[in-house]
Amino acid sequence: MPSPRPDFPGLPDTLPALLERAARAFPARTVTILDGRGRKEESYSFAQLHERATTAARHWAGAGLRAGDPVVVALPTSIDWCDAWLGAACAGGLPVATAPPGGFGGGDAQARKIEELRTQLDTRWAVVTPTLRPQLPDEPGLFTPDELARADAATPDKPNGELAFLQLTSGSTGRPRAVMITHAGAIHNPHAIDTAIGIPHGAPTHAWADSVVTWLPLYHDMGLVGCFLFSLYCGHDLVIMPPTVFLARPHLWLERITSRPGVLTPAPNFGYQYCVERITKGEFDLSSWRAAMTGAEMIRPETVAAFDERYGPTGFAHEAWRPCYGLAEGTLAVTFDTRGGVRTDDDGFVCVGAPVVDTEVRCAEDGAIEARGPGICAGYYRDEDATRATLRDGWLRTGDIGTMRDGELFITGRTKDVLILRGHNVMPHELEWEAESVTGGGGAARSAAFTVDGGAEGEQAVIVAESNEPSEELAREIKSRVGRALGILLADVRFVRRGRIPRTTSGKVQRSQVKRLYETGEL
Amino acid sequence: MMEEMDRTETVLDVVAEVSGRNRSEVTLEQDLVADLEIDSPKALQLLVQIEEKLEIEIPDEAAARFEKVRDLVEFVT
Repeated sequence: MPSPRPDFPGLPDTLPALLERAARAFPARTVTILDGRGRKEESYSFAQLHERATTAARHWAGAGLRAGDPVVVALPTSIDWCDAWLGAACAGGLPVATAPPGGFGGGDAQARKIEELRTQLDTRWAVVTPTLRPQLPDEPGLFTPDELARADAATPDKPNGELAFLQLTSGSTGRPRAVMITHAGAIHNPHAIDTAIGIPHGAPTHAWADSVVTWLPLYHDMGLVGCFLFSLYCGHDLVIMPPTVFLARPHLWLERITSRPGVLTPAPNFGYQYCVERITKGEFDLSSWRAAMTGAEMIRPETVAAFDERYGPTGFAHEAWRPCYGLAEGTLAVTFDTRGGVRTDDDGFVCVGAPVVDTEVRCAEDGAIEARGPGICAGYYRDEDATRATLRDGWLRTGDIGTMRDGELFITGRTKDVLILRGHNVMPHELEWEAESVTGGGGAARSAAFTVDGGAEGEQAVIVAESNEPSEELAREIKSRVGRALGILLADVRFVRRGRIPRTTSGKVQRSQVKRLYETGEL
Repeated sequence: MMEEMDRTETVLDVVAEVSGRNRSEVTLEQDLVADLEIDSPKALQLLVQIEEKLEIEIPDEAAARFEKVRDLVEFVT
């Protein structure tokens, strides 16, 4: 059984106050971080985490960071990430986490991405890995974790205004968007998740569980809010491994769950499917897995069934499933099936439950899902057009399609162009830019990236590119570019002659139409 | 300490296994990403196995610069 907890203290009002409360109320609770190979681990108590963040905040202040400044954090899952991200938040900055470099090569593309992000957010602040540092200009404001720790110390600003941090998400045109998450949202959402998971047991989660075990990246809303902030809020021990460690050695996730007395852990559908398909070794006892949240991409009933069949005998209870729906623009959770288990309708769509506490959800006539509540973001940073198009009278247009039945939501599709690969949102233009840098049209040769259903493998990325001189070699080069820059393997590269990709009158590539032509063989 | 040739063989064996290729198909000039389709999780599998078999550590800074099979072999020999 989980260990007893002190009286649950009241809600904090800012993100730094959430950390301070975690250190005060749950000083001995820990964050355990596995290294990049999944071999070694280090544990830090919440009290240490707070102390380190306070120190980092003083260095940020000494370097000149002022309240409201965005800070790009491009580090792998590590204590350095915690110091930089929490430190920036405690200095009144707006931390914005982005993916660190991974795999072989890819440094150039990563450096370019960070520079674009700094320009877009109009900030000089960024923390990067020592590997990437030499590829970036020698300018003040750019740090490795060691350089940050050596910066002068000063008294940091207090947070000012309603914003707590920025969350990167896919935009339908051109570039990523930085979602403005409020302090209210950053506090409300972990509380909402705690309440929602707690319902079938009639008590907050700390009464019947005590750890979160995850491999979700901290630059992903489900990893950041659903695991990291959630653990700090509830006082759960957090065990976290870098996502590549899970992908290379997935049994480590279930091994860590096995060793804990009461576990809560979210993952996208892909993570559960991956366990079924890829884990070949290890002995598990999953009877302590109290709640397995599944969300962030379409939930497949066949994955749920396969996972139940494979891991039921190791103690995994079907009642542990918690289908949920959320998105970065809602801080994270919007709806939650609080009953335990998975329910589907006649068309095989999974019920993702009712709106979380203090939140409303409605579906327009065309199925467009809209949500309103304390978790809804304040808009997109420095992008008023996108903000106006997404938020209206406090209602967020999610870009997803669904239906409400008896107060519960079923997701049936999405309207945004976002590609979801292994649970990660990828912006199609990121792939297209890499492809177009190879086909070299200088803007004249366009391309369209989309995903196709790869069955059990999940969605697979495909690029259709314009070129008047298509060749095997060109396709290979595009695969290489995309693989290096983004760590994504393209399932297929197809060529069409220049000008053959359908565009809107304003010149925007119509990806959904290209996808339809590809799927029907009409290209 | 293994002989240089054995170390090369070990690397090629692991590359073949992780990339799902026949050992005879793997050559030094192949591109790890474009030819062998080694994405970031496979890259980590590769590094973990080579590190364990050769009892070495390959820092991320070095791994980030590997492009061809040859780069990997040159690092460990």
